[in-house]
Amino acid sequence: MKRLGNPVALGVLVVAVIAAPFLFSNYRTYQLAFVGLYLVALLGLDILTGFTGQISLGHGAFMGIGAYTTTILVVDHGVRDLWTIPLGGLIAGVIGLAFGIPATRFAGPYLALATFAIPLAFIGLLKRFPHFTGGNVGKNLPQLKAEFGWHTSPSIWFYVVCWTVALVMLPLAFFIVRGRFGRAMRSVRDSEIAATANGISTAGVKTLAFGISAFYCGVAGSLYGIGITYVNPDTFPIDLSILLLVGIVLGGAGSLYGMLFGALFVEFIRISWGPALLNLFSKVHHIDTHAPGSGLVVYGVVLLLVLYAAPSGAAGLARFSFGSKTRIIRPRHPPGPPAKGENA
Amino acid sequence: MRKTFLLVVAALAVAAAVGATAGARPAATPGVTAKSILLEGTYPLSGPASGYAPIPVGMGAYFSYANAKGGVNGRKINWKYEDDGYNPANTVQITHKFVEQDHAFAIVGGLGTEPQLAVRQYLNDNKVPQLFVATGATTFDRDYAQYPWTIGWQPDYEAEGAIYGKYVVANLPNAKIGVLYQNDDYGHDYLRGFKAGLRAAHQSQIVTAQAYDLSATTPPAVQMAKIKASGADTLVLFATPTPTIQAYVIGTKLGYKPANVITNSVSATDPFLTIAEKSGSNIVEGTISVGYLLDPSNPIYNKQPGMKLYRQIMAKYAPKANANDPLNLYGVAKAWNVVQVLKAAGPNLTRAGLMAVARKMNYSPGDKNANPFALPGVVTFTHNNFQYPISQVTLVKYVNHVFQPQGKLLAGRGALR
Amino acid sequence: MQTFFQTLTTGLADGSIYGSLALALVLIYKATEVINFAQGEMAMFTTYIAWALMGHGSSFEWWAFFATLGIAFVGGAALQQTVIRPLERASVLTAVMATIALLVILNGLAAWIWSPQLQFFPSPFPTSSWVIGGVHISKQDVGTFGVVMACVLVLWLFFRFTKLGLAMRAGALNPSAARLMGVRASWLLALGWGFAAALGAVSGMMVAPTVFLTPNMMQAVLIYAFAAAILGGLESPVGAIAGGLSLGVLLNMLGQYVHPVTSELQLPVALAILLVVLLIKPAGLFGRVVVKRV
Repeated sequence: MKRLGNPVALGVLVVAVIAAPFLFSNYRTYQLAFVGLYLVALLGLDILTGFTGQISLGHGAFMGIGAYTTTILVVDHGVRDLWTIPLGGLIAGVIGLAFGIPATRFAGPYLALATFAIPLAFIGLLKRFPHFTGGNVGKNLPQLKAEFGWHTSPSIWFYVVCWTVALVMLPLAFFIVRGRFGRAMRSVRDSEIAATANGISTAGVKTLAFGISAFYCGVAGSLYGIGITYVNPDTFPIDLSILLLVGIVLGGAGSLYGMLFGALFVEFIRISWGPALLNLFSKVHHIDTHAPGSGLVVYGVVLLLVLYAAPSGAAGLARFSFGSKTRIIRPRHPPGPPAKGENA
Repeated sequence: MRKTFLLVVAALAVAAAVGATAGARPAATPGVTAKSILLEGTYPLSGPASGYAPIPVGMGAYFSYANAKGGVNGRKINWKYEDDGYNPANTVQITHKFVEQDHAFAIVGGLGTEPQLAVRQYLNDNKVPQLFVATGATTFDRDYAQYPWTIGWQPDYEAEGAIYGKYVVANLPNAKIGVLYQNDDYGHDYLRGFKAGLRAAHQSQIVTAQAYDLSATTPPAVQMAKIKASGADTLVLFATPTPTIQAYVIGTKLGYKPANVITNSVSATDPFLTIAEKSGSNIVEGTISVGYLLDPSNPIYNKQPGMKLYRQIMAKYAPKANANDPLNLYGVAKAWNVVQVLKAAGPNLTRAGLMAVARKMNYSPGDKNANPFALPGVVTFTHNNFQYPISQVTLVKYVNHVFQPQGKLLAGRGALR
Repeated sequence: MQTFFQTLTTGLADGSIYGSLALALVLIYKATEVINFAQGEMAMFTTYIAWALMGHGSSFEWWAFFATLGIAFVGGAALQQTVIRPLERASVLTAVMATIALLVILNGLAAWIWSPQLQFFPSPFPTSSWVIGGVHISKQDVGTFGVVMACVLVLWLFFRFTKLGLAMRAGALNPSAARLMGVRASWLLALGWGFAAALGAVSGMMVAPTVFLTPNMMQAVLIYAFAAAILGGLESPVGAIAGGLSLGVLLNMLGQYVHPVTSELQLPVALAILLVVLLIKPAGLFGRVVVKRV
């Protein structure tokens, strides 16, 4: 049971997830649905970056692969949208594995930059084959309608779908990271040499981590497509991959429940908090809240401030609050790749 | 263990704090109170398309002017807009917010073909007006039967392309044409219209058509080289400003001097052509394009009453904006139209009522109620099967840094009214 | 043959711009093991400053060029001391995230201060071409290549022949030993960022005449600079320049001569070639494969 994560925490989460639609407006529920799907994506990226120490700047593309898989199957082949979710994940996962095989030859920063190429290549390919992908104009998906005889708004049904998926993928993530494979991942992250000396195939671990993380992002991407009801190359820019990375850092790379924070931040910062903060500023110091670029400045500054306050993310803060006070200055094993100066 | 628990509880607390601010109760007609009408729209205020940011500023200036003159049937217009960065995923979420949290009366002037395509079905399903979208993609005007709550505004790209085609047939029947077009719906709409305007007999005049991808990271040098090599003496440019300017510059670098250049109206503005000239292009003079609005960067319109009014409005309500930017005038012109249809929809304002008015507009010089910010003579007209609000343009030619109108108004679609 | 030489010169000019930005990335990476994702936006921001100094783009002023290099140097060093240094103790991931935050802030700030409207940026070189045997060689291309290479040469001379340069190389090679020798490591990092920022400014000012001044103008260049840096090997300054030049020529040649490579595929194909090179030489063409001792 422990293998699937703290059962009390999970229980609290489940209760909150069930209660939320009754407490919040339709629109907030719609947003919280996206929090659920971002949670799935961040769990995936965290498995690769937080637990295995491989920084990827391309996982937005795996979301895109999931979304396009779903769209093409639903729009062109009439498949029921719900069935396409695991398929989106699967196809993204296979491509992730395929990418992982050569990628394991690259060391840290080379890998990061190589993964940067994935979303760019993805967008280029989308535009190159417009008959298949809809090209620049993209494709519209039909609105998800409630099933099983429920009569709820599309937003609430979408929320149910997203969180059902998230509440399955979360214990699954715990299962992965708490088993032997999880220990192998962490040893690769902390010291590849020691891992190899212990008989672990680092290339194999990294490749599998790539595949798993791509699978998670593909599932999240399918949900994303279903929620947005539209896909096109502009919907999966590099910004999305960077946003995912921001999400895992702010949540606390290497922590799974921390990804909840990450997901909340990712969803709310652009749509809600950014404009709200800007409005707040403008009351203090008169600025044009619609000035082009002002929103970005707020987003960047908030990001920096949060990084200073909590360099190990929300999980780091939690560790501080509940852990020994003497540990805050140099946590023994900061999540993510080793800091400069530490022995590899 | 404890850490996990704390994290979950804290995350939920954040979610609760975040979620608690729901939104006002909707009124009988959403967005309409006794004193105000809430209009909202999404615009790219950041990212590669943020050059269009002056449009909502111009709209806001006109709405302030209208409010100062008493508003619309006793109500003031409350104009709000937000940044979607031209990412349709953001457009969708923000539009959901506008409809479900802010309870906007109508979504007005949303910018971008793809962002607006993304929300079209949602707005139609929820019977929310998608009014006067800021894009020339033909589908928004043409597909009114399928999307009754959606209507465009500006002359559509296909119609504009057709006008260029007709111009060639009438004036350059033996020209060899080289086309550089953007490889997306924008460029394709133009090219399709151009070929239609040329008619089957003259389509062979096109000796080469080179596609250019907007996300390409290098200027269209290869395409321009191929156009030069084809021997085309007439260059046609159907691209957005940056590659258009680059095409002008590269052409000169390659020693290419076509006798005629036709450039689409989005890119053929004085600021852009001036940049091309400063960057060394010598094929800018004589560029042919079309226009349908007054051009604030062109002094020949300064005496027009519409231009004087425009400058007064900008000076008073948007003093920090650059009044010479044609995009500000575009915003003002559109906002004028919005106010007209709101007024005509009457004091008993409903969404359905608004769309009914928008689908039956007739603002013409003959009735002395034409859009003052459009070129003299331009009519705004929709009726039954004809849902292209503005479909008339005039040909203009770039001479001595100024676009000189060439002759009378042309009808992009249907007969001239 | 005509097109070949035209393509070659354009490729070398483009390549020199990618190479100088790549060199900036390598400088920072060598010193701090952090990839500075904000390099492109720093270059863009300093180019806007140059534009403002030149009176909003009437004509190119060499004094403004050098003043901008100075401002960029100071600005880069200041950024390192204020923004990056506090996070040095945290993981590499956090440091990378800080550079991303910087990227976002600089991009937004440029649009906020100067508006996102497309602007003209003058080139110091005439826009005409030399015509040699029917081949049009653009003076701007040759000039760009010359300026960038001159700056790189000056930097190389600095590192090779001055005490400070020696100290910086020592600091990058072995920080602990250098510290023992009395070298102030923190200042060296600031200097590294300063030089990188100045190189970025050169890159920006040379590319702006062609792509026009907008807040997003360096994004494509940054991607190519990354590719060039990897191609050459992230620890090799020579590799960065060589990688940049090769990439510039390769891209232009691909676009001109290989027909299935339409413009949307240019970048993906270049990246694919890059990946293939990395498979053969995982540390880049000039990189050293570090042998790890247990």
